[in-house]
Amino acid sequence: MIKEQELDHLFRHQYGKMVSILTRIFGLSHIETIEDAVQDTFLNASLKWRKEIPENPEAWLTKAAKNRAIDLLRKIKTEHSRILNLSTGPSSIAFNQLFLEHEIEDSQLRMIFTACHPKLKPQDQIAFALKTIAGFSGKEIASALLLKESTVKKRLARARKTIKEKNLVFQLPKDKTFADRLHRVHEVIYLIFNEGFHSNQKEFLIRKDLCGEAIRLSKLILKKESYRTGSGYALFALLCFHASRLESKISEKGKIIDLKNQNRTLWFKPLIQLGKHALSKSEAYPEVSSYYFEAAIAQEHLDAKTFEETDWKKILVLYQNLNLLQETPFTSLNLAIVLLQLNENKKAIKILNSINPKDLEQRSYLYYGSKAEYHKNINEIPEAINCIEMALSMVNNAFEKKYFEEKKSMLKNKQSS
Amino acid sequence: MKDFMMIFIGADYQELGLSPEELQTRMGKWFAWGGKMEAAGILKGGEALVSEAKCVSGPNRTVTDGPYTESKEIIGGYYTVSAKDMDAVVEIAQDFPDYDLGGTVEIREIMVFDR
Repeated sequence: MIKEQELDHLFRHQYGKMVSILTRIFGLSHIETIEDAVQDTFLNASLKWRKEIPENPEAWLTKAAKNRAIDLLRKIKTEHSRILNLSTGPSSIAFNQLFLEHEIEDSQLRMIFTACHPKLKPQDQIAFALKTIAGFSGKEIASALLLKESTVKKRLARARKTIKEKNLVFQLPKDKTFADRLHRVHEVIYLIFNEGFHSNQKEFLIRKDLCGEAIRLSKLILKKESYRTGSGYALFALLCFHASRLESKISEKGKIIDLKNQNRTLWFKPLIQLGKHALSKSEAYPEVSSYYFEAAIAQEHLDAKTFEETDWKKILVLYQNLNLLQETPFTSLNLAIVLLQLNENKKAIKILNSINPKDLEQRSYLYYGSKAEYHKNINEIPEAINCIEMALSMVNNAFEKKYFEEKKSMLKNKQSS
Repeated sequence: MKDFMMIFIGADYQELGLSPEELQTRMGKWFAWGGKMEAAGILKGGEALVSEAKCVSGPNRTVTDGPYTESKEIIGGYYTVSAKDMDAVVEIAQDFPDYDLGGTVEIREIMVFDR
């Protein structure tokens, strides 16, 4: 008999598959009806499987979805007359083929690329992707992206409206537009992952789910040969590297632990191996991406046995390259932090002075924390204390607050001695 | 030993708009609870009920569509169990998965007719 634990995230993953297949059959304009129908299938399963989980749960769901699709077709009376006789007859062959593994993957890819359609607003793309591909409810999306549920509903409704009004089709982009779209797909996956990995919220489970979904999607894209790119492999490597540290990043009390204080034995080795493999594959492609440098930096950190053994010189070069490719206030700040680690104080302050802390938004406390480090390095203790106080006034996370407070008392001791 | 019915009221999943993931989690909890009762040999039967309903009432047999009450009062299903007394069933009902969704378990003893 099947045990419940073996189902893993079956419902969530199956939801995305089914919505994608049915959308391929009935067309993107019917997506709302399709989502409702698929939701019903799961509702049904959740009640029927209370007593006994079927021998092959996935097949059960697929069959239910197929039947649901036939019901739907009768209801929608779609113009697709060629697949009218779905259960028997010659068209049933084509219909059934859509449920084969590689066709399911193809349908899912179409959905990802549709979610990243340039006609959809960027913020709507992420909500739409999480809903249709990963089966998140409005409430889950809201909690994952730190938004109000009503905002998420608005975004989803707007995305659906745009799809209808602009007559978007459920197809993979071709030729010139393809590269741009793939680029955006990578970006959306990266953003989904970051929401899970970097946000300071307490709900660990939903964060983990976001990271897991992002990895699953980036893997799905690499499955298709013509979609493999250096960026794609580098992105996958980056996500694996970061995800390997997910468990060690949260203390038992739900606090966030920084790289320096993480228990390195908790880092998940198989993911690191997977990441390394992907990163080396990405090197076979001519293009370099920011994902590549980010992944290479992450790999350097993972390779260091202790924080003290970190090869800052190598990391510095990687950050310099990243900054050349794509300079943002965050990459600049990171560059300055590495320089401070290497005691290159003059270079560090030059970069720090070029950053407007406001551009760092809720992470501007890191700017003041780094500035404090600079003043400490060149023995300007009162200035260092000032900066720590600025950082303390901005930091929200309790663990980091504690970190700065300890730093402050250390500096005060130094001042009085 | 006596027979009891646990009647599950409220916590309509459809109404609550649970995500596939949440539905699966819920299902898993029900599955575990049922398994536990079965292993203890106390579970006698039970069903889940579809939430759409029809009501026939009055001398004219007037037929109306459900839901005839607020959704939090809809009966979602039942289990029959055999136990020593009401307190023992209250204990069993501790594992009902949907209290956090506003669900209620009503416990009733099944009447035995004397021959």
